[in-house]
Formats: sequence, C-alpha cells, structure tokens
Amino acid sequence: MPSRRATAVSGRGLLIGVVLVGAFLTARLLSPPQAFAAIDGALGDGITLALSVIIESLPFVFLGIGFSIIVQVWLPEGFLLRRLPRRSLPRRLVLSVLGVLLPVCECGNVPLARGFLMSGLTVGESMTFLLAAPILNPVTIITTYEAFGWEDGVLVSRILGGFLIANLVGIIYSRMPRPMSALTPVFERSCSVDHSHAPRGKRLTRSAELFAHETTAMLPSLFVGAAIAGLIQVAVSRDVLVTLGSNPLWSVVALMALAFVVSICSNVDAFFVLALGSTFMPGAIVAFLVFGPMIDIKMLAMLRTTFRARTLALVTALVALSTLVLGLAVNLLV
Amino acid sequence: MFDRLRARWLGVVLTLAGVVAILWLTATGRLGLYVHPRYFVFTAVAAVAAGVLAIGAFALLPHTEADDDHDHDGEGPRTRAGRLWFGIGAVVLTAATFVSMLLLPPSTLDTASVQSNEISDTAGSLPDEQTTELVGSDSTSFTVKEWAALLRQGVDEEYTAQNPADVSGFVIADDADPDNVFFVARHAITCCTVDAQPIGVPVYQPDWAESLTDGEWVRVAGRFEPNQSATSLEPLAIVPTAVEPIDEPADPYVY
Repeated sequence: MPSRRATAVSGRGLLIGVVLVGAFLTARLLSPPQAFAAIDGALGDGITLALSVIIESLPFVFLGIGFSIIVQVWLPEGFLLRRLPRRSLPRRLVLSVLGVLLPVCECGNVPLARGFLMSGLTVGESMTFLLAAPILNPVTIITTYEAFGWEDGVLVSRILGGFLIANLVGIIYSRMPRPMSALTPVFERSCSVDHSHAPRGKRLTRSAELFAHETTAMLPSLFVGAAIAGLIQVAVSRDVLVTLGSNPLWSVVALMALAFVVSICSNVDAFFVLALGSTFMPGAIVAFLVFGPMIDIKMLAMLRTTFRARTLALVTALVALSTLVLGLAVNLLV
Repeated sequence: MFDRLRARWLGVVLTLAGVVAILWLTATGRLGLYVHPRYFVFTAVAAVAAGVLAIGAFALLPHTEADDDHDHDGEGPRTRAGRLWFGIGAVVLTAATFVSMLLLPPSTLDTASVQSNEISDTAGSLPDEQTTELVGSDSTSFTVKEWAALLRQGVDEEYTAQNPADVSGFVIADDADPDNVFFVARHAITCCTVDAQPIGVPVYQPDWAESLTDGEWVRVAGRFEPNQSATSLEPLAIVPTAVEPIDEPADPYVY
C-alpha cells in the first residue's frame, strides 16, 4: 500500500530535522560577537543589506510556495483553470487582476507562477500574472494612494501602466510558435510530468515534497540575488542617480536603474520613492513604481530557475522599453 | 548520492537556517535591524510555518523514494562537470548562509560613510497630510524624521520658536559649512535596510569638530532658528542648548 507508507512519519527524519534546528540554534547562541569584528565598513554594510533583502523576502517566498502548494495539491483538479475564461484575451485580463485575490508581492509570485505553469497555464498567461500581480493588488494600490493620492496621475499611471505592460508581454508570448521554449529545459520537463492531484492520503507527502523542491529552486537564487543587490548598493553611489533627476529622459532611466538595484518590495515601494518626489519628475516616479515590481536583480535571479536567460533578457527589454515610454509620456503630459 | 541530497535537501536546510536566524532576531528584539516593524508579526509567523513545513519534509520525505516518480536530480545540469560545479556552489552557498545568518552578529549600517549631500536630497519622506498633522503635536517627542519632514515642508519660525527640539542621531558634517554646521541624522527605513535613506536636521555650532567626530552618536536639545551660517544651504538650524555624546541606541533607525 504505497499511499500508507508515504504518509507515515519517519522518526529518524524527524530527529534529523530537530537536531539540525538545535545545531543552528546552538551556533547562533554561542557565536562570539567579537569573532568577526574585522568585518565592518563597506563589506559589513554589504552583508547587512543582503541579509535585509533575504529576511524581508523570505516570508513572502514561503507564502508564495504555500499558495502554490494549495493550488497544486489541495484544490480540486482544474479548480482554477475551470473558472478562467476560455478565450485567451479575457483569460489574460482576468489573470492580470488575480493579484487582488492572491496579494503576494513579487518574490512570492515566482513560486506561485511556477505552480500555475505546472497546473496547466501557458507561458504567456503565467507571465501576465507574474508581471501584473505585484502592482494590481490591493496592498500595493492602497500604499501608492497613501503616498501620492491622485497627485500627478502617479497612481492611475501605475495601475494602467502595469496592466498594459503585463498584457503586452502576455500577448507576445502567447503568439510565439513554441512558447514552452521560453522555459528552462529542466522546468519544461517537470511541467510535462503528470501533475494530476495526488490521492488524499498522499497530499501531505506531496506538499512536503513540493516545499522541498520549491525552496531548493527559489532560496539559492534569492540568496545570490540578495548578495548582488547588497554589493551593488554599496558600490554604486545614489548621488550619481539623483543628479539626473530633473531631465525628462534621464530621470526616468535613473529611477528605473535605482528600482532594478534596490529590489524593494512592491507593497511599500511608494513610500520609498516618495522621498525622491521633489527631486525627480512624475514620469520617473511612475517608471520606478512600474519597472521595479516587474524586474529587479533579486527577481531575475529567482526567475532564472524557470525561464531561459534569453527569455529573461527579452522580457526585461520589453518591460524596460515600455516603462520608458510610459515615463516619458507622463513627463510630457503631466 | 550528493546530487540527490543537494536536489532534495538544499532548500530545506537553507529554510531552517533562515527560520532559526529570524526567530532568534525576533526573540532578542533585533529584527528591526533588518526590516520595518510592520513586518515583525508576519515575518515571525511565516518563519514558524516554514519551520514546521521544513521539519515535516524531513519527517515525511525519506519514506517516499520508492514511490517517487519525479526527477529529483532537479533543476541542475546533466553533465558530470556541471553537477560538480553545482555541488560546489551548493556547499559554498550553504557555508556563506551559515556564517552570515548564524555566526555573524547582527549589525547596523555604517554611519561614518554618509555624506551630507545625501541628506539634503532625500530629507523627509512623510506624506503631506501626515506632516500637516505633526503641527499641533508635542514637538519634544519628534524624532529626526518628523523634524526633517516639517523643515522640508517649510514650517514657520513662529512654530519653531515655540516648540523646542530634542533629537538624537549620528553626526554628519554639512559639506557647505563643515566648520560650523553638522547634521544630526538617522537612517530611515521604509521596508527593509536595503532602502535605508539618511535623513537629518542641521545644527549650528561653530567649531563643533573640536568635540565631536563624524559618525558619532549624539543627543541635541535646542530650538530651530534662522541659520547663522554664511555658506550653509539650510535656512533653519538648531541652536543647541545641550549636545552630549551617547551610545548607539539598540534601535538606531527611524521608520
């Protein structure tokens, strides 16, 4: 009876897990504070910044993996797909506002989008969700309104811009002759495996397996991305970016670059960029708020687990160009 | 064998390292060194849930291998050399995670490297409505952040004359008049430390460098008055009645 064996708890496995937690905790408690006194200045700041990105992102990644497990294992088979419109355009339109129901920020959306792909969504549809959901969700909209209100059309431009760009990328990838070639070979193979929902008795095991699989895919990428973001923060002076603030074109480019480097969570990025509101033009602020949630260092590192480098380069170029046009339009019109 | 261990357990081990680090920071009151307090509860709850799932993975997965129809070589290369590099990368990443999260003591951002021009460009990050609400509040409870927001909005001299300031932060020389003016500054956190922005308020005290150094933590009490400096760009500055060095506070950031 495989299912009975599968759900049995391994005492040895449990013991290994507990011992590992105990060992980590002991190391943390006994670590001498002065042992690493030489690590300070720029190196110390780089480590602190990288750790802050990791600690801020980890809960959202866990939440996204949790949603992904629910979608793949616990909801009835086809529960989500059956409720989506059948025609591709309205289907993508609905997916682009799905963030209202699943308000996970961009880090959590990556495992969730992987879960959608495994559940049968196309690359274009998953891409639309992935790019739109961090912007078109209630938390992001409320915090943007709290920061800017209706001033300079920042809120409206962010919502409309995010919606349009996400659907533009979705349309392009839905019309490609072989959209699955956008995925890494390994992830493409795992999508082709029969992921029909596990029998009830094996769901716990399947959930544990998905958790192990997704954390193994996501966390190394998150950690490396966070380290790169932290080091670039230390190496690149913000002065360089801020001095470009009053030029209609360069202000947009500069804040897109800042969003790419800082890799800040979309739920609160409005408060961060509010401080730059008097230095930068409104189009630059909008560009920061649209580009950052879609593409940044940390996101690219995580997305690389799923999409080929060529795909990510193309998506990054598409989103960057679209955001640039959006930012320039806002600067000219407002 | 090692490939299977890496593919199956790397994420779970990294999860447990992160969970232990987060819960230890929460228990010792130092989570604020990395993330905004609004995330404290969410972060701790998510860490506990992830810890339970990770332990659950250890308890459940060893029994499934015979039934397993999934590719547990996972998201890695197929060639021998590729697998070797992936293995080395996994070991290095695990070691780096262990050292940075579980051995290094929590630390704050370096204060000595902050420049005054960074402050003037980013000072004040409160929405206008919140800044307006400050006027009428008890000014002695204002931090550097509230004062910076008020100064940025253009508070009048009548208000500053009636409302004394009592702030603490680290010292940064005003580049425009480094002999007579310094800033009392703090890093303001919006989301996590990576978005930290130095904000500060100017203090007019001729020859301040004789008793203070850049990056040193101080408490300054006094009133804002028209800045007497001939070259500083700040229209108002605190004329201090007291400036005293203090230890870096346990919670050095403002939110």
